[in-house]
Amino acid sequence: MTELDYNEDEILAEASQGDRDAFGKLYERYVERIFNYVYYRTGNVHEAEDLTARVFQRAMNHIKNYTDRGVPFSAWLYRIAHNLVANWHRDRGRKQEVPLDDLPSLPNKGDHPEKNLVHSQEQETLLKMIRRLPPERQNLLILKFVENMSNAEIGEIMGRSEGAVKSLYHRTLLTLRDQLEDQNLNLEGD
Amino acid sequence: MSALNIHSHEEDFNLLETHLAGTLKRVAPPSDIIQRLRERITLPTREALTLRLHDWKTLFFIFGGVMSGMLLLVTIARALYYFAGRRHPL
Repeated sequence: MTELDYNEDEILAEASQGDRDAFGKLYERYVERIFNYVYYRTGNVHEAEDLTARVFQRAMNHIKNYTDRGVPFSAWLYRIAHNLVANWHRDRGRKQEVPLDDLPSLPNKGDHPEKNLVHSQEQETLLKMIRRLPPERQNLLILKFVENMSNAEIGEIMGRSEGAVKSLYHRTLLTLRDQLEDQNLNLEGD
Repeated sequence: MSALNIHSHEEDFNLLETHLAGTLKRVAPPSDIIQRLRERITLPTREALTLRLHDWKTLFFIFGGVMSGMLLLVTIARALYYFAGRRHPL
């Protein structure tokens, strides 16, 4: 199905009436995005799989309650994912930092399927720093860079104004830059 | 990580954004994960289940499979009982 003939409103209406095929279409559209979000928030493929399944199960169980109040369906899904990831961190007593061993195991979109992602030392350091950030800032960076969302789209998901997102982004970059300087680490340009 | 001088405020941010873009890339979940996820969230509808029960061929294979399995279990149990009895005659 192409973007053109994909009428999300109609599909949402059908899905909220209990149409599983319609929900399947929503699943097809959003599963990779939710998986990516959870993957970067947990740093673990298996946990990402489990939590992604729980996101869609919860969405399926509550889609009847989903009413379009100007909030896109994707924002609703991301909020479910955010809550489940927060619970996951709380239940395991893990705070921001989790082992990064799993992260290199998935190929980037567009890479050859058999080619594993090889993180450079710079990227690993940066990932560690990102994981030490408060969850809200992690969300912002993931949505901005992994999902290529605009500040306005991120604002819809995070329940903030576009200006507030822009400000938070600026502060996040400052924090990261300060951390790099504190550790006497500088990023290499091209 | 190699050291390098960072110049102006804007250059810092541009460089940092470039590195963030290189680090936070979209990953491709393996297809088996996508398939497993689909199976986990996709439950057959009541109509689909009813349709399956009306399919006599499916029912025949299910019934045949269950009966064959039970027969096999009974045979193995009898064989074990027979050999155990021979080893320890009364």
